[in-house]
Amino acid sequence: MTLISDFYVRGKAAGTYPALTTRRDEAYVEFIEDARNLLLHAQQDPIAGYSRTLLEDAGIDMDPGEDNTARAIGVLMADPALQCYYRVKRSLQESFWDCIQGSYDGRRADLERCMDDAEQQGPGSLEYDPEWVAPAYAEADIHLQPGGYLNESLAGLLYDYGLKVFLGGNGDDDKIFKQVAWMTGVPEDGNTARVLDLGCSAGGTTTALAQHLPKAEVTGVDVSAPMLRYAHLRAIGQDTAVHFQQMSAEQLSFPDNHFDAVLAMLLFHEVPVSAGKRILDEAYRVLRPGGVITVVDFPGDRWRDVYTMFFATMDATDNGEPFLPAYIRSNVEDAMAAAGFSVQPYDPSKFLLAPRIGIKPVT
Amino acid sequence: MSDKEATDFSEALAGFKRGNPAYFEHEVIDHLVGIVLELGAELSVTRDRLARLEETLANGDPVSLDELDTGRPSAELQARLDQERQAFIQRVYGRLYAQVGSDKADAKTAL
Repeated sequence: MTLISDFYVRGKAAGTYPALTTRRDEAYVEFIEDARNLLLHAQQDPIAGYSRTLLEDAGIDMDPGEDNTARAIGVLMADPALQCYYRVKRSLQESFWDCIQGSYDGRRADLERCMDDAEQQGPGSLEYDPEWVAPAYAEADIHLQPGGYLNESLAGLLYDYGLKVFLGGNGDDDKIFKQVAWMTGVPEDGNTARVLDLGCSAGGTTTALAQHLPKAEVTGVDVSAPMLRYAHLRAIGQDTAVHFQQMSAEQLSFPDNHFDAVLAMLLFHEVPVSAGKRILDEAYRVLRPGGVITVVDFPGDRWRDVYTMFFATMDATDNGEPFLPAYIRSNVEDAMAAAGFSVQPYDPSKFLLAPRIGIKPVT
Repeated sequence: MSDKEATDFSEALAGFKRGNPAYFEHEVIDHLVGIVLELGAELSVTRDRLARLEETLANGDPVSLDELDTGRPSAELQARLDQERQAFIQRVYGRLYAQVGSDKADAKTAL
């Protein structure tokens, strides 16, 4: 048996993920994924319309300020239909995490051995330090993932399969990662010798970037060793060379002017706003003049009303997104400009399909 | 907000940690909704296994517990199971949202 066949012992699910340990677990998660699509994603627009009507009837205006948001939460979460929506969301989320973790637990020793064996193999490379201490905010159980990103040795695997369920089919065959790789900005001179993925988590986007830019040396950094160990094996499984290194995006060990392009996908809403500013300063430092940063994340303070803030505040409590409300009250474009980037026109109405692009000026 | 304040704030949020927060006035209703969803998931699992057993028998293939535990439905059966499962969820659970006028909403994926 090879490393890869041991890891994907029941083959791959959705073209990418190691299949769950039993068919029973797959069937269970198929139910959850469909229920999320039908009972949550499909309901978002009707629920938003219903909620806005409730707010209007209660005389609450659309001001997204904190006091008004608190009043909106009081009105909306007293409504049985919305109580039910959030109950369903929470129950489905905890159920699929329990199932995925329990399923991989059934062959945990084999999965960990595969990641151990992969550490000395290529293509690509892996560097991490078991004694390294991550920033305190990274301890959060983002998305309610059991053990979070730091305290579960299979965190990368859980995250990856969880993302499949979250995206309800859009993550299959790495589709979303390939889209982001295509959206990633490159310098005007076309030189992309070195590319950096900040907060790369399980390495899906990093690997897609390396496939999209085959001549580039692509590096992914993250604070989580379990994420990086899985990311390296995941890239080997796709025969793609990526260099994964454990470090904080706030304090990069790379020299000045080192990279041609930097990507941060869904990173900034997962960290405190203050950390986001330090990350942008570091990205500016390691990019060479003319280098490009691409930020793919939710819109900020120029695309919100009281319902958006209600939704974000509920997500903070129901989806383990502690930094999302403060993120939405901030503005990444302004922070990019403050770091020194020339920010290109950005359309927040396109949500995640419109990246924020910043260029380090050539002076 | 400092990093420490942000972390303290997040940990203080109700429901931030895994567990079973209550959304209804009485948590018994929360448990009932959770129970109903769990029963639907387990019924879906049972239907899947029964359909695969029936397919094996109908094809005259030998029945193997290992194959039932770790094998997969044929592509044709998987497509049928997908359709039946989605119809079941729509029919049984969709009515939860009748009040908001979306009980007939079509399936939609994230993003």
